[in-house]
Amino acid sequence: MTTVLKTEDLRKQFGELTAVDDVSIEIDDGAITSIIGPNGAGKTTFYNLLTGVLQPTAGSIWLRSGDDAAGGDGLRDVTDAEPHEVAQAGLSRSYQITNIFEGLTVRENVRVARISHEKTRLDFRSRATGDEAVEADIEELLELTGLTHIADTSCDTLSHGEKRTVEIALALAIEPNVFLMDEPTAGMNPTEVTEIVSLIRELDADLDATFVVTEHNMDVVTDISDRIVVLAEGAILADGTPEDVLTDERVTEAYLGSDSV
Amino acid sequence: MSATDTGGRVRAFGAAVADGWTPERFGLLAAIGLVLLAFGPTFQVYLFTDFLVVALFALGFNLLYGYTGLLSFGHGMFYAGGAYGLAIVLRDLSPVVADVVGAGIAPLATFVVGGVVGLTLVVAVAVPVGWLSVRLEEIYFALITLAFGMLGYSLIIQDPAGLTNGTDGVIVLLGSVDLGAASVRLGGRQVYYALTVVTVLATTYGVWRVVNSPFGTVCKAIRESPDRASALGIDVRHHRWMTFIVSAVVVGIAGVLRAGLASVASPGLTHWSTSAIAVIATVIGGATYFSGPIVGAFVFLYIRWAISRFPTLEAYWELFFGALLIAVVLFFKQGAVGGLLLLRDRLLGDGDAGGGDSGGGSEAADSGDSAATDGGRAADDATIDGGRAADDATIDGGRAADDETTDGGPTAGAPGDDSRPHRGDDS
Repeated sequence: MTTVLKTEDLRKQFGELTAVDDVSIEIDDGAITSIIGPNGAGKTTFYNLLTGVLQPTAGSIWLRSGDDAAGGDGLRDVTDAEPHEVAQAGLSRSYQITNIFEGLTVRENVRVARISHEKTRLDFRSRATGDEAVEADIEELLELTGLTHIADTSCDTLSHGEKRTVEIALALAIEPNVFLMDEPTAGMNPTEVTEIVSLIRELDADLDATFVVTEHNMDVVTDISDRIVVLAEGAILADGTPEDVLTDERVTEAYLGSDSV
Repeated sequence: MSATDTGGRVRAFGAAVADGWTPERFGLLAAIGLVLLAFGPTFQVYLFTDFLVVALFALGFNLLYGYTGLLSFGHGMFYAGGAYGLAIVLRDLSPVVADVVGAGIAPLATFVVGGVVGLTLVVAVAVPVGWLSVRLEEIYFALITLAFGMLGYSLIIQDPAGLTNGTDGVIVLLGSVDLGAASVRLGGRQVYYALTVVTVLATTYGVWRVVNSPFGTVCKAIRESPDRASALGIDVRHHRWMTFIVSAVVVGIAGVLRAGLASVASPGLTHWSTSAIAVIATVIGGATYFSGPIVGAFVFLYIRWAISRFPTLEAYWELFFGALLIAVVLFFKQGAVGGLLLLRDRLLGDGDAGGGDSGGGSEAADSGDSAATDGGRAADDATIDGGRAADDATIDGGRAADDETTDGGPTAGAPGDDSRPHRGDDS
């Protein structure tokens, strides 16, 4: 197993409040890691630090990356990188509140991601639809995520579950090494949850990307995770296999104790 | 006859008409219309040339607004940049150019050189101004561009370098091209009209290609969600900066044409009220459509002209535009083009899936059609509607040609009086 994402003493303070408290974590490839924790545990802040949206107060972030900027261990320091640089280095994400290009069709959404990946965004002379290889890639990805039948539908007319799937397709279109999913089942009905869980399993098996998931739905967490990391008040409370973590007394306390209101 | 029967007939008629409107026929009809118009009354030729220039101005502006989601209130500065570049070169460098190319074609050569200098000036201004402006978003972006535009305005008026001739502006004398036997006056209404048509059509095609390129696709994505775009590896700020520059260049081309048409480059061109014309035309036409700014410019100029036919109303023309804008913003969020597409869908029958297919010949047009029916943003619809709009324009222009041209336009003192600054000075 190789480490694809690593943080060292990562810290984020908003004034007096410490949202992320010296988190050191190593994520290995080939496993689905879930990051769980009660509301306000710092999960989303942690994601925003990883993706460059927020600058950490202290600590560092390392990402496996094929490019020259990577050091001897294949990891690249992305602590001060901008969001687009982090994405280019191989870290992709989905948002807790769906964030897709609503006014474009599903196919156009994925095309944008492919243009970004192919680094042709400054090409203003060719047709956006003119590159057959890119169009074939788009088609393949739509098929993989089961979106082919709504490929030419404008995203603002899609159902919530479909939009979430589009977001997954978007994030995967840039061929990430690591895919951070922020509550993929948020706001979904039970049928949609089942569908998205099987999609995540399928994608995890088919693709090279390493999945990191935050989730509130404990059934989903126990179902898909190989490893669970519990955050509470910004710090790591527990870390291990689902069996170990979910029987940990401190975890139960964190969920049912002070934060249960 | 029952109501449904009538509805059916209307739809059948609509479908039959739509069947005949292939892009080729549209193009041909528009081309014939454009040629015929050149032989219309002088004022109508002037008015239509004016429309073309404003349409290009708004089209360039909309690259940044409708496509990338940044509302600039300072694009007048690039309009002025193109205009002053041409005016200053014509004033100061005509003899130099004449020495190089010979006296015969010197005026045309000087015009081309002036245009190139104007666009170079525009790029030189757009690079730093854009770089600073795209650091901001939304209202702050609008305000900083407004500030830059007004900075340009006061610079031109203060004239520290002794180039711009202060509030009077720089007179533009286009001269005549001598080709041995024939002499062509560049500033002649018909000649200048032809020059404008060719330039505007070519530039519009260029913008259309940009919009449908990978570059333009990324612009649309940034408009929809900048966060999402950057999370996919797109440098949003850099892309906005590039769009800003491209947009400025298109507006600069319109500015060059404006100076020749008005025979003057005046400080008013960079005043915020000139920048507002692009905003108003785009909102009236529909910012989400490629053809929106073109249709909007048409509505703007021809309604203003129509109001000027009634001297008692003329003093209140801004009131009419206020009312029109309110109506558009409240009831036609997609603008005039959105309204026309809605009307077309009515005529072809609601939810008639075949309607879109019968309408356009090419695949690009088809996909645009379906997107429009979905109420989505159908930028692809562009060519067809652009063609239709231009077509409408010529027809209307021809119809209006019967009217007398002795009345003054709303801003120009007299219709033929091209030595006066066209607009911007009136506010």
